[in-house]
Amino acid sequence: MNYELAILSAVSIFAVLTALGVLLSKDNFYSALYMATTMLLVAAIYALYNLQPVVVLLVLVFVGAVSIVTVALAATYRTAPARKVNIFWSIPAIIIFAIAYLSYFSLDELNVSTEFSSVPTDYFNAIVILFSLIAIVAIAAVKIARRVEL
Amino acid sequence: MILFLTALAILIVAYITAISAKDLIRLLISLELMFASVFLAIVPLFALKPSTAYMVAILTIFTSSCELLILITAIILLDRIKRSIAIEAVSVGGERLD
Repeated sequence: MNYELAILSAVSIFAVLTALGVLLSKDNFYSALYMATTMLLVAAIYALYNLQPVVVLLVLVFVGAVSIVTVALAATYRTAPARKVNIFWSIPAIIIFAIAYLSYFSLDELNVSTEFSSVPTDYFNAIVILFSLIAIVAIAAVKIARRVEL
Repeated sequence: MILFLTALAILIVAYITAISAKDLIRLLISLELMFASVFLAIVPLFALKPSTAYMVAILTIFTSSCELLILITAIILLDRIKRSIAIEAVSVGGERLD
């Protein structure tokens, strides 16, 4: 087994384990955090295949927006009593952030694939329709929310 | 093979979470997990047709965002009307076994 397959297996196992965390956790807030971790690991699998544009999309939209909104929603409607988090948990978080920061800036150059450069032109209509769709959905959501009587 | 197995495992976990959900927040979380599984399933498509696979990924992201938007609206409306976000509070839709 080469090391790439080993890393893929390890990331996949962690993804399944964090997905199981969603199921087994009784607190929705922690379930949402496990879900965000699963999504991050899915993005990591894309990174293993050097699909950097998809990684950026996934991390920005799927993890950065969708997951965070879900976590915020779960925290808002949280019914379980909040646990006091030990401040020493910030130490491993800072170490991981520092390693990621140093690793990123130690890269000499980024070999981003230009394979997808034709996507905006080839699928221009589809992209326009998608943007229109999300605008219509957003307007519809606001309209429905205003129409409902309290 | 590893990717498909992982996607299948995450999808099964998401289905079980959706079935056992007692409130809409957990249902939303399980739906997002299903989308994560879909993202894993389309990785091999990048080896065959990268441009199409990229478009499918964008389509999936947009669908996920729209689903989140609608479900958040539904949760807020349900909370306003029923003062609860429990699944039992949803009285319309779905199938009824007679």
